Amino acid sequence: MSRTDSPLPPEANPALRRPSDPGPDGPVGFVLASLRMAWRWLRRMRTALYLLGALGLLTLLATVVPQFPNVPRTVAQWRSGEAGPGRFVSAIIDLLGGYDVYGSPAFLALLLLLFTSLTACLIPRYRAWWRVLRRTRPPRSRHLEAQEQVAVLDTAADPADVHAAARRVLAGRRWRLRAPDADPDLPDQVAAEKGHVVREGGSLVFHTSFYVLLIGIVLGQLLGYSGQVGVVEGKAFTDTASGYWTSTPGRWWTDADHRAFTLTLDEFHVDWYRDVRLGGQPRVFLSDVTVRTEDGEEIERTVGGNDPMVVEGMKIHQLDWGYAPRVVVHADGEVLYDGYLTMSAAEGGFYSGAVKVPGADPDVGFEVFFWPYAPEDDDGTPQLTGAPWADAPYMVLQEFRGDLRLDAAQNVNTLDKTGLAEGDVLALRPGSLAVLPDGVTVAFPELRRWVGFQVSSRPTAPLLLTGAFLILAGLIPALYASRRRLWVGAAVDPASGRTRVTVAGRAFQRPQAFEAEHRRIVASLAAALAELPPSSPPPADLRPGDAPTEVVPR
Amino acid sequence: MTEIQLAELSRVLFFPVTMLLYLVAMGLYLYALAFTKVDRAADEPAIAGTRALRLGTLVAAIGLATHLGHIVTRSLAAGGRVPWGTMFEYSSVMGFLVVLAGLVVFQWRMRRPEVVGFLLLGSLLTMGAALLLYAEPGPLQPILNSHWLKIHVFAIMLAATVFTVGFVFNGLHLIRDTAEQRVAERETARLTGSTVGAAYGGPPVVVENDESPLGSDVERADAPADLADGGVRGPADGDDDRAYGAALRATISPWRLAAGTFLGTSVVSWVFIPASPTVEEGVRRFLGINLALVLAALVAWWFVAKLPSAATLDSLAYRTIAFGFPIWTFAVLAGAVWAEQSWGRYWGWDPKETSAFLTWVAYAAYLHARATRGFRGRGAAWLGIGAFAVLMFTYYAVNLVVTGLHSYGGLPG
Repeated sequence: MSRTDSPLPPEANPALRRPSDPGPDGPVGFVLASLRMAWRWLRRMRTALYLLGALGLLTLLATVVPQFPNVPRTVAQWRSGEAGPGRFVSAIIDLLGGYDVYGSPAFLALLLLLFTSLTACLIPRYRAWWRVLRRTRPPRSRHLEAQEQVAVLDTAADPADVHAAARRVLAGRRWRLRAPDADPDLPDQVAAEKGHVVREGGSLVFHTSFYVLLIGIVLGQLLGYSGQVGVVEGKAFTDTASGYWTSTPGRWWTDADHRAFTLTLDEFHVDWYRDVRLGGQPRVFLSDVTVRTEDGEEIERTVGGNDPMVVEGMKIHQLDWGYAPRVVVHADGEVLYDGYLTMSAAEGGFYSGAVKVPGADPDVGFEVFFWPYAPEDDDGTPQLTGAPWADAPYMVLQEFRGDLRLDAAQNVNTLDKTGLAEGDVLALRPGSLAVLPDGVTVAFPELRRWVGFQVSSRPTAPLLLTGAFLILAGLIPALYASRRRLWVGAAVDPASGRTRVTVAGRAFQRPQAFEAEHRRIVASLAAALAELPPSSPPPADLRPGDAPTEVVPR
Repeated sequence: MTEIQLAELSRVLFFPVTMLLYLVAMGLYLYALAFTKVDRAADEPAIAGTRALRLGTLVAAIGLATHLGHIVTRSLAAGGRVPWGTMFEYSSVMGFLVVLAGLVVFQWRMRRPEVVGFLLLGSLLTMGAALLLYAEPGPLQPILNSHWLKIHVFAIMLAATVFTVGFVFNGLHLIRDTAEQRVAERETARLTGSTVGAAYGGPPVVVENDESPLGSDVERADAPADLADGGVRGPADGDDDRAYGAALRATISPWRLAAGTFLGTSVVSWVFIPASPTVEEGVRRFLGINLALVLAALVAWWFVAKLPSAATLDSLAYRTIAFGFPIWTFAVLAGAVWAEQSWGRYWGWDPKETSAFLTWVAYAAYLHARATRGFRGRGAAWLGIGAFAVLMFTYYAVNLVVTGLHSYGGLPG
């Protein structure tokens, strides 16, 4: 704590910290002293502000620069210079780890520092709060009239009755009261306080809930699972380790944890507002599915965008969809390829994919482009539109011959063209068929659609929800509860023989709001005093329970 | 009426009707403020132009009614959905809520009509920016069709409204506080005949009223407002007040204020250049927004003597932001819950998520700064301004520029 804020001379403000034991000398002492210094530095609120600022800067970087785990394709474009600020800047970003901020060592170090700083701040605050909790009695005030808010009432009632009435009034307003003092030397006084436990307690709950969130996130990463798979209409997939296209299992997730249910996509519903004004905005996006659990139980349900399905603790989300045209390739009366291409929409409204037929001699590959709505104009030429509805599907295939190089890992939707030579271009409508010069036929018998599902297990979700709830439950009292202290002291004034009641208050927050509260308390106390019997014997010239004669706000 | 007619009616109600009404109301409020005599001892501005003030309140209330009409017709034109599905609608409702808060909370409940003119100005700026993002009403994408749209987006909108009000107070506080301190310094320098010791002539230092270790977040600026007017004394006759007002205004160079505001606004308003259909149009929008904010800053500067004291403004800003912070927290958490339901993950470090988190961090830093010695007062106010810039960045930049790099949830559309 700095002393320079105070206008008083330094000797009036002794340092709060007692000089500590200097500890051992030598290297051990040096390390200990450094650690103690680091701990003190971490305890400062200013440090927490700097760390929050650094967190803000890193987050800003991650907002502006595409992040590899989120959008790998965009990052690749930035790296190659196709998009973004150019290759030079991109290289600098890469050097700084800017494409994966949240996986970078700098971010992890910052997180560690933030949590250490939080711990360093919280430990003394917990200790102090515990002391407040254990100190069951609100403190007395030695000089009531020196407090911020002071009102003085004058009554004929007995001081002991006044104190009892003040206790009743304050207890009714839910103030924490000090038990009457047994010490006969102390003047009798009612001491009360409010908000001390709740405000700091709320702040502690708020800050502590970040540990709950951290534990929830880390455990969730270790225990959780998520897998993505595309399912063509009428087809199914089974929840096994190898059943997914992509998956991110947690470190502690085992193959035996899969529930082994089978999901069949019965029908997919998708429709659009076919209105120029709305530009083909989607209207319906729903999947009818049947799930068959390992025990043989069958569940039929419709899964929608905001409406995931839960099967034995695994959540099934409908995330993506695309067209799945069936392509059949024949040669010499033999079926070489028969499958559904799972194609995703590209920019411009067309779909692209690839067909790989290693069984032909030499290998045949097709680059496939698909337009769901390509109506023919007057002279029979297909008009390629970007509309997503499949009212006039049209497929164009570019033939490639040579070596497909399938021994290397490949994307199913693109061809590795290094060993391939370009061939013919074919155009197909559903139900049609094209023949290549060497007798290979390509058919497009039907068009279906596919849906991308995500199956996930997040066992720590309840813990995270608890953490989120605690954040709010702590934040609201931490910001809005106000700490106040109040004292009521009644004593017989030797000059008049009447009882002088001092109601003194102090606000730690929002003193302006407390002024009104203080006034209300004084008013209710005055009303309570008016009902009290006068102390015996009553002075003849005064009515019992006089109204307050003097209120002195300071 | 057909939906197209409703949409047309809704647009006319927004512009020109509501915006003009707000403009007139703002003029009336500022006119009333210009004729306000401020009793510095009591920090109670005695509004002299009561008739102008009453008329201003009436016009603003009519503006609220037409604005509500705009929101309802717009919702009907879009097929009866919630009226916050697009950026335009969101900004429009924010503008409505700012004016509503100005009239109900600050004028009626807190008896501070002198800030309402500036809140109307803030609302007009928000609505002007909304016009740049105008989109015809239409149905929602199915992915947005969820109860969470009502909960999450409404909470975000409410918090953004509260933060906008807090920004107005922070801005006014910065101008007023700078002027007050400079006048106090000059006064001391004049009285002592030298600049030595000028630092002690400022507002009296409030002695920390909480010695317990728990008092890490004492709201110091909530101390009685007259403290901040200390240091400058004098008889409260009209001439002296006028001289004090002129002195306050003279401490701040309008050119520097204008240049600073222009540069500060550019931090966020540049996004309108790449987000516009053509570069010329983008530059026009960029300059328009910057000049509007420069104008707003100059209006605040002109009225610096009529503003509530710096301590009051600081307290208003703090209490406003402390009110908005839990709402924003709730909104972000609700967003995580919705993301889990909709996209199958509660947090994906998506640009919108990270920037909402960034806004949260920025306002958390402001709240912590208010409790930290050495950051209080103007330091905290600057952090508050910075946090609002982050909020605007989250809203405009991430929606208009950054999202182009990323499509939500891989949905068509």
